[in-house]
Amino acid sequence: MNTIFQDILDYGPALLGGLRISLALTGLSLLFGTILALVFALGITSRNKAFRWTSTFFVEIGRGAPALVLLQLMYYGLPNADITLSSFTSATLALTWTASAYMAEYIRGGLAAVPGGEIEGAQALGMSQQDTLRYVTIPQGIRIALPALMGFAVLLFQATSLAYSVAVPELMSQAYSAGSSSFNYLSLFIIAGAIYAAISIPATWLSVGVEKHLAKHL
Amino acid sequence: MQSIATDPLTTGQTAVRVTNLAKAYGDHVVLRDVSLEVAPGTVTALIGPSGAGKSTLLRCMNLLERPDRGQIEICSHRIDASKAISAKALAPLRRSAGMVFQHFNLFPHMTVLRNISLPQQRILGRSREEADTKSMELLARMGLADKAKQYPSRCSGGQQQRIAIARALALGPEVMLFDEPTSALDPEVGVEVLEVMKELAADGMTMIVVTHEMGFAENVSDTLVVMADGGIIEQGDPQRIMRDPQHERTRRFLRAVLER
Repeated sequence: MNTIFQDILDYGPALLGGLRISLALTGLSLLFGTILALVFALGITSRNKAFRWTSTFFVEIGRGAPALVLLQLMYYGLPNADITLSSFTSATLALTWTASAYMAEYIRGGLAAVPGGEIEGAQALGMSQQDTLRYVTIPQGIRIALPALMGFAVLLFQATSLAYSVAVPELMSQAYSAGSSSFNYLSLFIIAGAIYAAISIPATWLSVGVEKHLAKHL
Repeated sequence: MQSIATDPLTTGQTAVRVTNLAKAYGDHVVLRDVSLEVAPGTVTALIGPSGAGKSTLLRCMNLLERPDRGQIEICSHRIDASKAISAKALAPLRRSAGMVFQHFNLFPHMTVLRNISLPQQRILGRSREEADTKSMELLARMGLADKAKQYPSRCSGGQQQRIAIARALALGPEVMLFDEPTSALDPEVGVEVLEVMKELAADGMTMIVVTHEMGFAENVSDTLVVMADGGIIEQGDPQRIMRDPQHERTRRFLRAVLER
C-alpha cells in the first residue's frame, strides 16, 4: 500500500501531465469527430450518390477497422506514402475517424427518430428544406442522440490510451514509463486506472442526468 | 395604390379551388376526382366517416401529401399536381395556407415564443423584435401571454393547439386549414380551441375544417361537405344537410354520429 502512495508522490505530476494530453486528444477528436459525424449522418441518407458513397466509405471503415489499426496506419503507415505526421496529430486523426464513424450512426438514428409531425409542421408553415433541417431536424435529432453521444465520449476518452502505441505521451504511456523505471507496474496501472475511472464514472452519470433532463422536453 | 383587380379575393370569388384531385396509395384509392370551391371569408366543414379521404384532401391542399393528379389553387397560387412541383412554387402556396394539425406539431425544443417567431423570421424575413411583437400580440389574443417563455411540453393540449393556431396566423395566411383540431383533446379543453376558431371565423378568415364536432359543423360553418369513399357525396347549407340529408350514405353517417 505504501508503494502506491510513494508512486503517487513520485509520478503524480507526470501522470497528470499525461492526463492533460489524454483530455486534449479526447476533446479534439470529439470536436472534429462531431462535425464530421453530422456531415456523414446527412451523407449516408443523402440522395446525392457521390456524397452518400463517400460518407458510407468513411463510416464503414471507421467502424469496421479497430482504432488501434487506424492509429498505426496513420503513424507508421502514412510515411510510406511520404506523409509524416507527429504522433499527436496522427492519433488525433485516427481517433477522429473512429469517433466520427460511430457518432454518425448515433446522429443518423437521432435524426430518423425526430417525430414526422414536427417536420410536417415546419413544411406546412412553408419553411424551406434547409431551414427545416437547421432549426428542427438537426437540433431535435442531436438532442435525441445526445445521451448516446456522451456515452461514446467516455469510451473515446478511454480509447485514447491506445495512443501510447504511437508514442503520444498521454496518461497510459506515462504510467508505462513510470512503471518501467520503478518496476511498480501494479501500483502505477492501478493509479492510472483510477484516474481514468475518476473522469469516466462522473461523465457517465452526467450523460444519464442529461438523458433524464432531455426526456422532459421531447 | 393597390389595384383591386390583382386582389385574388375580389377577382376569383374563390379562395380555394381544387379541381379533379386524385390520390391513391398503390391499389388503394383515397381520393377520386375531388373538386371543391371555397369562397373567401367562409367556413367549410369537411365531415364523413373515417377513411373517407377528408384529411388526405386537406393535406393535399398544401402538398403535405402529393396528389397523383389535379389542380390546387389557393389565393391565385396554382399548382398542377401532374407536373413537377418546384420549391419556388410551393412556398407561396404554403405561406397563404396556414395549417393546424390534430397533434399540434409544435417544436418541442423551442419556447412558445420561438415557436411563433422563428417561422416569421425565416419565411417573412421579419426581425426578431418585429416577430416577437407580433407573436406576443397573438398570444395575448389567445389568452396565453404568460406562456411565452415556457416550453410546449409545459402547456396543456388546448393551450398547445392555440399556440399552433397563433404560429400559423403569425404568417398572415389567407386561408386556414384545420385537420381535426380538437380530436386529440378532452371535450372541455376542445371548447377553448373551438372558441378561438369561432372568433377567427367571425373575423372573416377563410377556413376549411376537417372535424367530428357536429355542433361546430352545423352552427359555425357556412358550407358542409360530406365525404365518403374518396369522394364528395353531398355539400351545401349545414342546417339543411343535417335536417334533410339527400344521400343514403350521409343519412347513415349522421345517424351513427348523432346517436353516439
